[in-house]
Amino acid sequence: MWQLDSSTLITVLTILASSIAIVLGCIIPALMEGKAVQKALDGITRQPDAANDLRTTLLISMALLESTAIYVLLVVLVLLFANPLLDRFF
Amino acid sequence: MEAINPQVVFYLFGLPITDTVVSTWVMMGVIIILALLIRRYIPDAAEMLLETINNIASSVMPESMNVIKYLPFLGALAIFLVLANIFSIFPMMVSPTANINTTFALALVVFFAVHIYGVREKGLWGYIKNFSKPIFLFPFEIISQLSRTLSLTLRLFGNIISTDLIVAIVFSLIPFIVPLPFAALGILTGVLQAYIFTILASLYITSAVEVEQTEQERRRLKEILEQSS
Repeated sequence: MWQLDSSTLITVLTILASSIAIVLGCIIPALMEGKAVQKALDGITRQPDAANDLRTTLLISMALLESTAIYVLLVVLVLLFANPLLDRFF
Repeated sequence: MEAINPQVVFYLFGLPITDTVVSTWVMMGVIIILALLIRRYIPDAAEMLLETINNIASSVMPESMNVIKYLPFLGALAIFLVLANIFSIFPMMVSPTANINTTFALALVVFFAVHIYGVREKGLWGYIKNFSKPIFLFPFEIISQLSRTLSLTLRLFGNIISTDLIVAIVFSLIPFIVPLPFAALGILTGVLQAYIFTILASLYITSAVEVEQTEQERRRLKEILEQSS
């Protein structure tokens, strides 16, 4: 077994955790946003008159969906650049 | 830490002044000069800008609402945000919205504006009563009011800081030409986020102000029904 001191261990685990978090937090909102765009495009091709209303609603809902990915990004940024655990234990 | 924390440039009367505050001051000067110049030389452009903001606001607000009343607030928000989000493309400048305090201040302005408009429209008691339609939903309404402020803050801050960070990272790898598409993406994201912030603000104002009218309509409908029966 490797001999790691605890601060190195915490750093390595933090990097691993934040990579997993950013991967999941990018994939899932991207898939869901794709679904939203797909439905909106379906609606626009079926009813071109409603394009303006659909576009506004689509942009608002995309912003709300996007913000979940942004929360993940912010948590990851805090973990990587301003890790609170390192200060607490050492 | 330095990547997401703004740098302190100098101290003014013992207060630390960060680079985002300095670029906010520069931006205020730019906005004032641009406004004076546009008013003097191309009034048509000002009219076009007003028309654009009016269209954005009235795409969310119902026609029964007086959109003109809220245009000064929404327009100031939109102009400030568009310029603030793309301000990092100018040399020596950083985006004022890349500091979480700026976006939190803007979200607080929206928070208070929504409640002030609501109280002004319906009176204090009517506005509070509107919160607690079934009485047990009152705490959830309070939570939603607070969390919407938090989400406005974090969405704007996260978008701007992420595009700035991407440009910085690519620039540190390959400093020629290659960062340009990312900077262009940053401009696109910034303008889109300004649009979304404005539209969400008008949506919140609508939800605070509008219900009175539907209540009145419901009462009127009930009266009509009672009269006809």
